[in-house]
Formats: sequence, structure tokens, C-alpha cells
Amino acid sequence: MVRRIRPATVVVMALLGAAAVYFLLPVVWVLVAATKSSADLFGTFGLWSPEPQLGTNLGRLFGTGDGLFGRWIVNSFLYAGIGALAATLLSAGAGYAMAKYPFRGREALFNLVLAGVLVPSTVLALPTYLIFSEVGITGTFWSVLLPGIVSPFGVYLARIHATAAIPDALLESARLDGAGEYRIFFGIAMKIMSPALVTIFLFQFIGVWNNYFLPLVMLSDQRLYPVTLGLAQWNSQTFRDPAFYELTVTGAAVSALLLVLTMASLQRFWRAGLTAGSVKG
Amino acid sequence: MGSKIPRTARLAVIVTMTAALGLAAACGGGAATEPAKNQASGDPASPVTVKFWSWVPNIQKAVDAFNASHPGIKVDLETITAGPDGGYAKMLAGVKAGNAPDVAQVGYDSLPSFLVNGALEDITQYAGDKASTFVDWQWQTGVFGGKVYAIPQASGPMGLYYRKDLFDKWGIEAPKTWDDFAAAAATIRKKDKDAYISTFAANQAPWLISLAQQAGQGWFSTENDAWKVTIDNPDTRRVAEYWQKMLDGKLVKTEADMSNAWYRDLQTGSIVGWIGGSWGDAIIRGNAPKTSGKWAVAPIPQWPGADKFTSASWAGGSSSAVLKGTKHAAEATTFAVWLNSAPESVNILLSAGYGWPSIKDTSQIANLQKDDTVFPFYGGQNIWDVFKEADAAVDSDWRWPPVSDALYASITDNAKAAVQGEGTLVDAFAKTQQAMVEQLKAKGLNVTTGG
Amino acid sequence: MAGVLQRETPKAGAEAVGHARPRHPRRSRSHVAVFVAPFFVVFALFFLAPIGYAVYQSFFKLTSSGLGLTEPTLDFAGLDNYTAALTSPAFLGSIGRVLLFSLIEVPVMVVCALTLALLLDSARARFRAFFRVSFFLPYGVPGVIASLLWGFLYVPQTSPLVDALALVGLPHDFLGPGTILLAIANISTWQFAGYNMLVLIAGLQAIPQELYEAARVDGATEIRIAWHVKIPLVRAPLVLITVFTLIGTLQLFVEPLVLKPLTTAISSDYTPNLAAYNQAFAQSNIHLASAEATLIAIMSFVISFGFLRLVNRKGKRAW
Repeated sequence: MVRRIRPATVVVMALLGAAAVYFLLPVVWVLVAATKSSADLFGTFGLWSPEPQLGTNLGRLFGTGDGLFGRWIVNSFLYAGIGALAATLLSAGAGYAMAKYPFRGREALFNLVLAGVLVPSTVLALPTYLIFSEVGITGTFWSVLLPGIVSPFGVYLARIHATAAIPDALLESARLDGAGEYRIFFGIAMKIMSPALVTIFLFQFIGVWNNYFLPLVMLSDQRLYPVTLGLAQWNSQTFRDPAFYELTVTGAAVSALLLVLTMASLQRFWRAGLTAGSVKG
Repeated sequence: MGSKIPRTARLAVIVTMTAALGLAAACGGGAATEPAKNQASGDPASPVTVKFWSWVPNIQKAVDAFNASHPGIKVDLETITAGPDGGYAKMLAGVKAGNAPDVAQVGYDSLPSFLVNGALEDITQYAGDKASTFVDWQWQTGVFGGKVYAIPQASGPMGLYYRKDLFDKWGIEAPKTWDDFAAAAATIRKKDKDAYISTFAANQAPWLISLAQQAGQGWFSTENDAWKVTIDNPDTRRVAEYWQKMLDGKLVKTEADMSNAWYRDLQTGSIVGWIGGSWGDAIIRGNAPKTSGKWAVAPIPQWPGADKFTSASWAGGSSSAVLKGTKHAAEATTFAVWLNSAPESVNILLSAGYGWPSIKDTSQIANLQKDDTVFPFYGGQNIWDVFKEADAAVDSDWRWPPVSDALYASITDNAKAAVQGEGTLVDAFAKTQQAMVEQLKAKGLNVTTGG
Repeated sequence: MAGVLQRETPKAGAEAVGHARPRHPRRSRSHVAVFVAPFFVVFALFFLAPIGYAVYQSFFKLTSSGLGLTEPTLDFAGLDNYTAALTSPAFLGSIGRVLLFSLIEVPVMVVCALTLALLLDSARARFRAFFRVSFFLPYGVPGVIASLLWGFLYVPQTSPLVDALALVGLPHDFLGPGTILLAIANISTWQFAGYNMLVLIAGLQAIPQELYEAARVDGATEIRIAWHVKIPLVRAPLVLITVFTLIGTLQLFVEPLVLKPLTTAISSDYTPNLAAYNQAFAQSNIHLASAEATLIAIMSFVISFGFLRLVNRKGKRAW
């Protein structure tokens, strides 16, 4: 059956199309820029590459410093992936317990967590460094990974979601069926909370991936750098050697692309979680 | 914070221990052997490891060469973020936490603030006899109160890069004085409505400071037990008034240098000149490769009535400093001296674009005699002759303050405001002086002013 | 800080506890600790300890003497660093600037995110997956890179955008003193609108379809449904994204940091967070930086909780 196209549809689609152009244009720009030489980057029209040299740029990108860039990408995935996974699990536990079990000092703790969301993380990097050097873990993989497993926002979100989405009656009947608290949490609560958990994971993954100052102060071995720090360091060398512009821009394009692919693949999860139970036309 | 006390205590122990060790080494060295033996070379069987932090591209090659020729010392290079982008903060935090590297890349402009933060090691006993190897003004940047703290690496003597082809076309000579420069600027505006002789880079503190340095009177000095701040002095005011006139007459652009816009303008001929450091050649070559053969370099314009040729160096330059807390000050110094004076190493640093060498005798530096990647870009001119003369003409009395980061922030903020039309450039320098006095006082230092 | 929070608690406590009271009080409660403790241990180690250390640092300062050739001493400074920050016209100016920025950016962001969410949720939309991914994509671009990228698009010499605007005679000086704040607002909107939209879509999709059907049967238009049914029902996620945008704008940092070299309109203490960063990283004054950071946290706290109070007073609790 052929559906009639109504004026309202045209308006909606036009607005959506305009928004898509707005959101995609800069991404297209960076992809085009990745195929340019430093000179063309400044000298030619932004959305067209007259002498594309993507192969050369990619070769240099992955070849510089014995494949440092590849290591940075892997590091970023490790820092962000492990950190976000651990953060999600910890937040889920804490948020769920705060939603479903009243205990003394619960609200005080929750408010402490909320206050944690408000602290500017930029300035926390140096004190964290001083504390970590007490323990002697600065300059190690752990010094960047460990702070990434804390997500106050995750606890907040997990609690809100658990309160709203998990019916107490369900927990009660599970208990009457003889299920232990841990089984209820891992078997029932986590499943119901999955949309919130995917959000927490996503949020923390991006947060760790984008974190720049913590690795900056913690790490001095280039081989442990995450990709943001590595690119920033290349960018600061353009001052003496303009060829680093090609590396920085191509690296930015590749890392953004990888991250977007990761997000897109995760998004399926997150949509599945969201749309479960509601069929839309 | 309970951890605070033990940490400080532990730090104190470390500091005392290193001091004691240093003293013992000094006694041993001084008593038993001749001064030359101060150049520690270590035991090849169990090499001493020296940790080195730098952000210079390709410096690894020089480090490898050192390791190959010095079996008793093993230098571990870690590439960090450039100093002003967080590298310095990291070094200072490292010193505070007791895990700083032995040798670090520190700009001449930042050595005083490292000193005031107690982050530098006195290496007089190991390096005191090296003064004659280095250009005097560069050597002096690492010397405070008669003690040596750092080995100079490279400077950025200033010259005027200009589009010779366009200057010729418009019938303009390379300006010898600042008056010539202003006249040339006006002519260029008339000949081509899109072209400017240069930009006034209000974003670039080191550039603004070099212009003032070249004009004569310094900004900071020490008098008795106090820092004397003289930013608002007659010579600097003359510079400010000059550029204010250039701005008012719209004879210069006002965009940021080393920005996207500026690179583009270099390519298109919208900007046909740049007063920049010796390492700037790589920036022009790399960003405007299609203008090859069209550029030339002239000495920086002079103030009318000057009795001798004067120049300046962009942000001074950069050194290898030995950081407080090192257990291998002798080996660290050996490395720092070799890195910055051995012809093999200087050649590597030079080709990495790190600036004008700090050593006096450059006859061994092959690339300074003939450079087939650089000279053709400048129509075959040996541009190094210009910078050699410029480096020799840098005032050796110029002192950096222990708050140069604050100085940079303050001067660019004030100059940007002046370019936006809030007050004049003369006000901007006066305001900067005021801010510096407050900064130094806030640190508890003694301050006087003059002008 | 804690005081303000405490006053909120009885209400929140009463409501949350409500029907969750367990019917088996004699059951072992050790599981609660197992759920809660891991998070709070790492929270204390990697969050509270550095915060505490920063606050502690803010009460000290390094003092040199004479020329400063001897090692500086660490002295207790009381509230000196706080007075220094609060009497500095530059720091106060930066606070004023982010407040202004919030006034612009928060409504823009909320309206954009809500409009996009409603458009995508409307029965008229096609290719939903494509649009959803396109809008969300910028969120995956790190802030530093996003600002670098827009930096290129704002500079007349390298931007196709400026060319296009100039051609049709629209204003196109993005980096002037009058427009730079809007240029920054654009970057934040570009980056986060898609994310916020997803949060709202999640809320919209939780609404039972029967509600719409009922409205449609009554002859309501899509716009009426959006306004009268959908918006009131996503009130909680709306409040959530508002608060997070508010906090984000008050702590504005990466965008001005990256755009700074491109323009004469951004100073080194353009926003409070930039001022604190400048003190900590460029000027090595971790003590003043800590005081400024503490002030930023207090400010974010007072404003975001003030907003929540306002919202909660007007209607039913949103969170």
C-alpha cells in the first residue's frame, strides 16, 4: 500500500534534514581534512581535497614512532572500556541498593555523591597525582584506569532508574520464591535497569576517552598514552614541525571514526533496551 | 589529610640525603682528582640510569648517540607535553612528589620560576668550567647568584622573513630601521589592498617581549635583595607607541600568528613578512611550500640612532636543567653538556628545528654551513648568517622573572584588549607592570619598580 | 555544602523509603554493604581524597623571600586564597561571563534537544535510525577535537561556512568579542544536543502508546499531543538535562581553551575553570587554583540546587 505524503511529513522531514546537515557537516569536514597535506589544510576549500593523500597520511599516522598511534588507540579502548565497565557495575550496585534498601545515612551518602558530580575534574588531576605518587603508582596503567571506575553520575542515574522501573512487588515475589538478594540483583534488577546501565556505560566511556588532564599529569611514557593525549602532544609539536598537522588531523579523524563506530554498535543495545515493550508505527 | 605530614617528612629526608650525597661527591671529586674528573662517565658494567624529559621532536636520536658513546650512563628519554601546555606543571609536581626526572627541558624564561619553586639542582661543581663553551648570554640564563643550574641548548634569535619577490615587484628594499618598516608597510597597503607587511600578534607574548627586548632597556633585574620591575620604561613605551601607530593606521593585520588564518595568509601572500625566530624557517617552509624560492631573511629592523646593532631572542631559548632530587647530578650534567655541545648532537637538534645552537664554535655544525633543504627556499640565501649575527647581538643583561607564565598571560590579555580598542598599547605595558609587581609580592618576594 | 543538602533529605528520604520497607526485617542485611561498599571505597579513594586534598591545599600558600633563591616555605594562609580570588576583577568577571553563557545556552540546548526528540518521535518521521545516529554522532567527538574542528570552521581563511554566510550577506565574524560566546554556545549545542535528545527519547518511549491513541481518537493534532501529552510526561528527563547543561555551562572550559589561540577575544581567565587551570598548570599556583576550584564547585552547587528547588516547588518532584 502506498502511503500518501502529507504536508506535515514534509515539514518534519525538512527540519530533520536540516538538523542532520548541521550535525554532520563538521564531521564531513574532518574526514576531508584527513586527506590533505598541511599546506592544503590551510590553503584549500574545506569540503574539497584537490590532491588527496589519505594513503600517505594514514601510512605516516600508523608508522610514526613504531606505531605509537595504534598503541594509543588500544590504550584508549582499554582505559575507557575497562573503566566504564567497572564503573557501571559499581554504580548499578550502589544505585540499586540505595533505591531499594533503606539504611542509615543513605541520604547523606547520596547527597555526597551528588556533590561529587559538581566538582570540576580539571583541577582534581594534580591532587590525585600527589596522592598517587605517595602510593607509587604514577606513570602506570593503573594511575589512569583507577580514577575512571568512579562515576557519581552513574550512581545517581542507577538509583533514579531503579526507583522508577523496578516494582517492589516484583522483588517481594522473587523473595517469596526463595531467591537470594544477589540473585535478585543480577538476575532481575540488572535486566530491568539495562537501559540505564547502557547509558552509564556510554557516559563513562566517553568521559574516560575524552579525559585529557589526568593522563597528562599521570603518564610520562608515551606508550601508555591514550589517544587524546597523544594527539594533543603531536598538536603541540606543529609549532616546530608543521608536518605534525597532518598527523594530528588524520589521527583525530581516525579516532573519532572509531569512537563513532563503537557508539553506533552500542546504540543497538541501548535502543533494544529502550524500545522493549513498546511498538511504534 | 593525615598523609600530608609523613609525605613532607619523607621528602625532607630525601632532600637531605641527596644534599649529603652531593656534598660527599663534591668532596671526593674536589679532593682526590682534577676538575676534569668531575665529568662523571660511570661504570660501563653497571650503568647509571638518567631519566630525561623533553618534548623536542626527534631528540631521541641525540639520546641514542649519547648512549652509544657513553657506556657508563644510560639515558631514558620520556617525551612529555610541551612545558607551557602542562609539561612544567608535571615537572614541578614530580619534584614535589620526589619522582621527577634527572634532566628536563626547561625554557630560559621558566628557569627563574623553577628556581623560586626550589626545583633546580646546583651543578656548579660539575659544569662550572663549561662557561667558555657556550655563547655568553645563553650561558647566563642558567646562572643565578653565581651558581650554575642549567645547560643552555638553543635560542631563537630574531630576523625579518619577507617575500622578496613581492618586495622587488613593489620596489621596496628590506627595511633597515623601524621607520623603513613603517614606510614599507604603508607602501604595501597602497600596492595591494589585500596585503599586509605582517600581523601584530597580540596573542604571542614572546614576540611582544622580544620587540621590547630589542629596543633596549630590560624588564626585570635584581637590585640588592629585590626584584626590580621596569616594564613601563621609555624604550618599551617607544615600541608601544610605534605599534599603536601601526594599528591606528591599519598598516598591520591583527590576527593571531601561527594560527590557521595566518598560515593561510602566508600561502596567499596576504601577509608578506614576519619578524620571527631562527626556527621559524621550518614553519614557513612547512606551511607555505608553494612559495619556495620567494622568501628572504633580513636582520631585524633597528631603532633610529642606535649605536650598535641589537637583536633579541624569542622567549630566550631552551635549556637542559638538572632537577632537584636527582641522585645522579654528575651523570645528569655530563649528559646535559654533551647533548648541547657535542657537534654530533647539535647537528641533530638543529635539523629537528630546535633553534640556534648555544655553543660558541659552530664551525663543526655541518648544516649551518650549507643546508640544501633550507637555503633554496630562501632563493639560495644563507639565512644562518643573518641569525648568527642576531644571536651575537642579544643583550646579555636581559633577565626573566620568576613569574614568566603570569607575565605571558598578563601581557597577551592586555595587548588583546588594546587591539580590541580598550586603551592603548602603552597602557597595556603599564598594566602588565602593575600585574607583575602584584604577582611577585603575592609570592612574598621583595619588589621595587623603576622605569 | 552538606548543610544545604541535608535540608533536602527528609522529603527525598520519605518518598524513596515509602513502600520499599522490607517485610522481613530479620533477614541478614550484609548484602546492602556488598552492594554499596565497593562504589564508596573507590569514591572515597579517587574522588573524596583528592577533593579533600585540594580543599586542604587551598588554605596554604607558598611564600618565598627576598629574591626567592632559597626554597620557598609552605605557610598556612587561612582564607587568603579565597579573598584573592573573590576580589580579583578578572575572576569575578569570568563568573559573570559563565552566568550569562548559561542564560543563553541552557534554553537553547533544552529547546533544541526537545524539538529534535519530538520530531523524531512524531508519527511523521522516516529514517529514524539514520537521524538518531547523525544527531548523536558529535557526542563521540572529544571536546578538544570538536573545538579544533569548529575552530577551522570559524576562521574566515579556512571556512566554507564563512564564505557561504558572507555570500548571502549574513554576519560571519564568529570570533569577535561580541560573538565569541555564541560561537562557543554553538560548539556545546552541536556536541551535546544529540545526547540530550536521546535522554528525552528514552523518556518519550516509556510513555504507553494508549495515551496517544486516546488523544488521536479525540481528534488532537500531533502538535497538540506533543504539547499537552508528551512534554508534561518527560518532565523528569527535561529537568535532568537542564541541570546537567547548567553544570556543564558553569564549568565551561575546553571550548575557550582551544579557541583561545585563534582569537583576541578570549583571555587566560575567560571562565572560572580556565582561570583555575591557568593557575594550576601555567602558573604552578596549586593553592590559588584549589581555592578557585572550590569556589566553582560551590557556585555550581548553589545554582543547580537552587534550580531544582524552584522546579520542585512549582510542581511535583521531578527527581
